[in-house]
Amino acid sequence: MKTGGDLVADALVAAGINFICTLPDWNMARLIERISQENSWIHVRLAREEEGVGICAGAYLTGKTPALVMQNGGLLNSANGLTTTSLQFGIPTLLIVYYAGDINTRYFSTVGDVTEPMLHALGIRYYILRDREAVTRTIVGATVLTMDSKRPVAVLLNRDLLRSEA
Amino acid sequence: MKRIDCLKAIAGKVGDALVVASAGGATVEWYDLHPSDGNFRSRTLGLASSIGLGIALSLPHRKVIVLDGDGSLLMNLCGLSTAAWSGPRNLIHIVFDNSVYESSGSSPTATSGPTDLVAVAKAAGFPRAIWASDVGGFVRAVSEALAGQELTFIGVKVEHGIVPGIASPTTDDTENKYRFMRHIEKLEGRKIFGSGYPEL
Repeated sequence: MKTGGDLVADALVAAGINFICTLPDWNMARLIERISQENSWIHVRLAREEEGVGICAGAYLTGKTPALVMQNGGLLNSANGLTTTSLQFGIPTLLIVYYAGDINTRYFSTVGDVTEPMLHALGIRYYILRDREAVTRTIVGATVLTMDSKRPVAVLLNRDLLRSEA
Repeated sequence: MKRIDCLKAIAGKVGDALVVASAGGATVEWYDLHPSDGNFRSRTLGLASSIGLGIALSLPHRKVIVLDGDGSLLMNLCGLSTAAWSGPRNLIHIVFDNSVYESSGSSPTATSGPTDLVAVAKAAGFPRAIWASDVGGFVRAVSEALAGQELTFIGVKVEHGIVPGIASPTTDDTENKYRFMRHIEKLEGRKIFGSGYPEL
């Protein structure tokens, strides 16, 4: 049996991610547990999301394919780093973002309200994952896009997807 | 003590160490004293140390020096605990502490008051964290860190003020990135660009 978190972890391996920074959210607990168990990457546990933007940038400068796993509140925390490091220098990073405040979640609709407008404002392309069938092709495709465009690309993860089991 | 005298004293000693400089006066002075494609200049206050950490973890056989300031470090204090926990043995974090936000009008930082950045680094878990009290001590600390295998934090109290007459680096940010990455390709003897992704 695999949860949605397992599918996302498998897809990150398939995408060739080899450097990954994480800061937890309850709904990503299984995903981060899997990330900590894989040997495909260097895993750095963060204390604040914006430092992950810098750490991923440093890793990219040496030839790594980096990903930053966080909640959308952390995406908001990272706005300056994404702008004046990632976008300003042209540095790719796959942003794997738990979408608090998406449909069928409670308590965080405010951060949900501003998540997509913030990504629009920064000119960061994003894809929303709500279905298990789309996980691998979306994460692999978003990784190709971030590396090719040399800009961050975000994949937003819905709660029901992460909690799904099959 | 002046920052430029510290930088001059180590410019001939860093060898092929990679150097990440914080947004601020240290960058202008360092790029003038030690022009190299192995220099990378951060634009985000606080993130020089994080960029250096990402490089150090990815290239554990290379020495990485971060030239930071007190204002920059104060903006990313949690980065000290992240660096200490992830534990690269090849990272040397140097902080020129002039107790002001020099590049943005010279108003004071908390190190003009009670905050001791070396004590903070120690408490965050850096195995070696020291104040250098003169240029000689600074050079010794940097040389020992370059020769050793220990995550190191070196603080040095300096007067504020950027040396007049030094021009800012003329490379723009994307050029700095490409030159740095081409430098890594040469140093490491491997391709970074054009590898690993599907071609149309």
